[in-house]
Amino acid sequence: MSRLGLDRFSALYLGAAFIIMFGIWTPHLFLTMSTVDTIASSQAIGAMLGIAVIVPLATGVFDLSIGAVVNLTAVIAAVLMQQHNWNMWAAIAVAVAAGIIIGVVNGFIVVRLRVSAFIATLGTATIIGAVQTIVANQTQPLQPNSTLWQNLTQYEVGGFQVIVFYLLAIALFFWWLLDHTPMGRQLYAVGGNPEAARLSGINVAKWTWVSLIISATLSGVAGVLYCSLSGPSLTFGSALLLPAYAAAFLGSTQLRPGRFNIWGTIIAVYVLATGIQGLQYVTGVQWLGDMFNGVALVVAVAFAALSPGLKSRRKRAAEADGGAAQEKKTPEPVAG
Amino acid sequence: MSDHFPMSAVSDVAEPGNVAEPGNVAGQGNAAEPGEAGEAALEVHGLCKTFGATRALLPLDLRVGRGEVHALVGENGSGKSTFIKLLSGYHKPDAGEVLVGGHQLALGSAAASHAAGCRFVHQDLGLIASETVLDNLYAGNGYPTAFGTVNGRVARKLAAEDLARAGVDLDPRRVVGTLSPAEQTGVAIARALRRSDGGGPQLLVLDEPTARLPDREVGVLLALVRSVTKAGVAVIYVSHRIDEVLEVAESVSVLRDGRKVASRPVAGLDHASLVALLAGDGVEEADVSTHVPPPPDAPVLLAVDKLTSGRLREVSFEVRQGEVVGIAGITGSGRETVLAAIFGGEPREAGQVTVAGQPVRGGRPDYGVAAGLAYLPPDRRSAVVSGQTARENLVLAKLRVHWRWPKISRRAERSETRTWFSRLNVRPVTGIEQPLSSFSGGNQQKILFGKWLRLDPKVLLLDEPTQGVDIATKAALHKEILAAADAGACAVVSSSDAGELIAVCHRILVMRDGRIAVTLIGKDRTMANMTRASLGTGAENAGNAASADNPASAGNAA
Repeated sequence: MSRLGLDRFSALYLGAAFIIMFGIWTPHLFLTMSTVDTIASSQAIGAMLGIAVIVPLATGVFDLSIGAVVNLTAVIAAVLMQQHNWNMWAAIAVAVAAGIIIGVVNGFIVVRLRVSAFIATLGTATIIGAVQTIVANQTQPLQPNSTLWQNLTQYEVGGFQVIVFYLLAIALFFWWLLDHTPMGRQLYAVGGNPEAARLSGINVAKWTWVSLIISATLSGVAGVLYCSLSGPSLTFGSALLLPAYAAAFLGSTQLRPGRFNIWGTIIAVYVLATGIQGLQYVTGVQWLGDMFNGVALVVAVAFAALSPGLKSRRKRAAEADGGAAQEKKTPEPVAG
Repeated sequence: MSDHFPMSAVSDVAEPGNVAEPGNVAGQGNAAEPGEAGEAALEVHGLCKTFGATRALLPLDLRVGRGEVHALVGENGSGKSTFIKLLSGYHKPDAGEVLVGGHQLALGSAAASHAAGCRFVHQDLGLIASETVLDNLYAGNGYPTAFGTVNGRVARKLAAEDLARAGVDLDPRRVVGTLSPAEQTGVAIARALRRSDGGGPQLLVLDEPTARLPDREVGVLLALVRSVTKAGVAVIYVSHRIDEVLEVAESVSVLRDGRKVASRPVAGLDHASLVALLAGDGVEEADVSTHVPPPPDAPVLLAVDKLTSGRLREVSFEVRQGEVVGIAGITGSGRETVLAAIFGGEPREAGQVTVAGQPVRGGRPDYGVAAGLAYLPPDRRSAVVSGQTARENLVLAKLRVHWRWPKISRRAERSETRTWFSRLNVRPVTGIEQPLSSFSGGNQQKILFGKWLRLDPKVLLLDEPTQGVDIATKAALHKEILAAADAGACAVVSSSDAGELIAVCHRILVMRDGRIAVTLIGKDRTMANMTRASLGTGAENAGNAASADNPASAGNAA
């Protein structure tokens, strides 16, 4: 099993199976460049949000406000450009700044007020929803009519919309940040055991705060790009929240089982999307996405709990003499 | 007898009456099993187990009489845990048979083990701290009910009986989190032995029951163990603490490398002979007296001035370069908080900490680390980052060392980790990319030592540095402490193990009520003096306590 990597690369095998299956089933529809492009660009926003949730998850906190941030920043960008005739870059800057501010506020509530991140971000998400309604003046804003704005994400490069390359750049950056820098190591340490991290001289409060700022900022960027790709929506972001967590948890069973990781998440996003797209071609029904994502989230979390690596780790921990440390998952930071 | 446990709380407990005295005297080797005169609660014949290529347990024979306390001792990885897991049905043995109360036990089944009357209390007691004793006793199953509703009155009566049988005197309505650690262990024992849980318990296995207990409460637990045996239940008592074994057990089996090397009555053994059996070729224990104490004009590396935090009240002391200072004291004396308060793990209310002349800001560990302090917490749970490998844990406190733009060099980290593994003799050698939590307790502790030693700290603050590790590892860690002091650092060791403090400390500060009550130097560093000073009996001033010159006069009567 481990020789073939069936455990660590199961999603890749699954993806290959999807491609072969739907390739044989509907070759004229499925095996086309346009399908590849559709899947790649339509899932880019979802994958960015997957990365956005990985950062706080690695640090041991949940950020449930990312969907609301996507909605708000998309609406801000659209309203500023469409109704107030702002310059595109200025509008983008304000929208992303709104994301950053939300991250700072989330961090403040979690670190300084010591509210559990789960509750805190659930609360801010609801507040952001209200703010979004105020900004949009209760009407769905229109897509700004500018070629530059649409080219921001839809410009074709080598057969792909350019947003796919943005995703690649973001993934590369966060892979580097999480896997290859002292900061990433410290984030994972805080997530693994906040008390041990604190007693090793790591500033747990700071990294918790930073991780929430990162997730909100990245969600803000994703919101702007989403607006450019498909137009502002009052609800789309909320629909992205669950798939983002499904991808993050499914990703944590891949490549480096037991650890939230970037490439595992990207793979998870695209394998799920391939399956959904193929099934939609075959059946033509619309409810597949929700069904697939929901099932994937539950199965992924169950897998993460039962994965061989984690299981044997637990077993070894139990066998080790003298009280080996148990898996201690406390997603609450200890403010220093 | 100076290495006996300084506890006397159990001296008034009568010996269990129905225990057959071990028939033979010590020194006759394995030929005669102890406890042969009594009826056997447990008989084990040829039990063995291999994991892959590892022979975890070679064919083992063992006999424990009814109402007997049989100690099981051995280094980490000697096969104790494997044996217990075979008994509990967690593992299935390769061969062998087990008789419990004369009946054949179907091996490899937890249900069969339970039905036969085997009960287990693990080091992690598995109690729910926020619930009452009553709920902890019956939450698993077995609430007495009337029409599906918990019958509170009957439940309380039942709980009182179950607690009394285990020798615990507690109100079952108390919340477990408010109990002392020894009382919590008592609740776990009562739960294991409860009547409503299918038939009569025959055998109680206690896995390191005192590892997390403060010194003062060990006596309470040993009394509990004795009262359990009065009900005819045999006890297998697993512990690293030699003195406890000598005190509570009637017989002892020593495992080494998966093999039983001896099974003896305890009556003829003393500390030294048991250690010799345990360690085989003999462990050379660390001894601070063979080290030259630092000269009186050595520079002061750590100065603590009027430190107040939690229970601490204006604690002041200095530690010089090359010096190892011990901190003793009972639970609640402030001993448990003093190192964390110096380091910054606990908030500092008042006072000043100076490292090599530089004042250190309090309340934040990162300031402490930057100033050259290193702190090993008493509980490995707050030291090990689960999910990270041995390498990642080892380098965690200083990640910049191997930073080569644009990334941390894993190769350099691995090579450094290998160096530390060989220096500290960590097993398995090939495990540097394994999760740290998969290592045995002793090896985890070695790696955590390495984590701080690699920073070349000026001051090592070690809280219970050898808790739950075997004798060989303990000696190795003690030598590392002395070596670090020789190399120009200094160390402060807080420990509930008086023998440990005497072995490695030039000077011992005994704490009482948040203050340093007595300082013991040189020949005055005896268990008797420490016990007396920590309890504050009689001699209230330091001079008197320190002048007690006969260590054998105090100690335990049991």
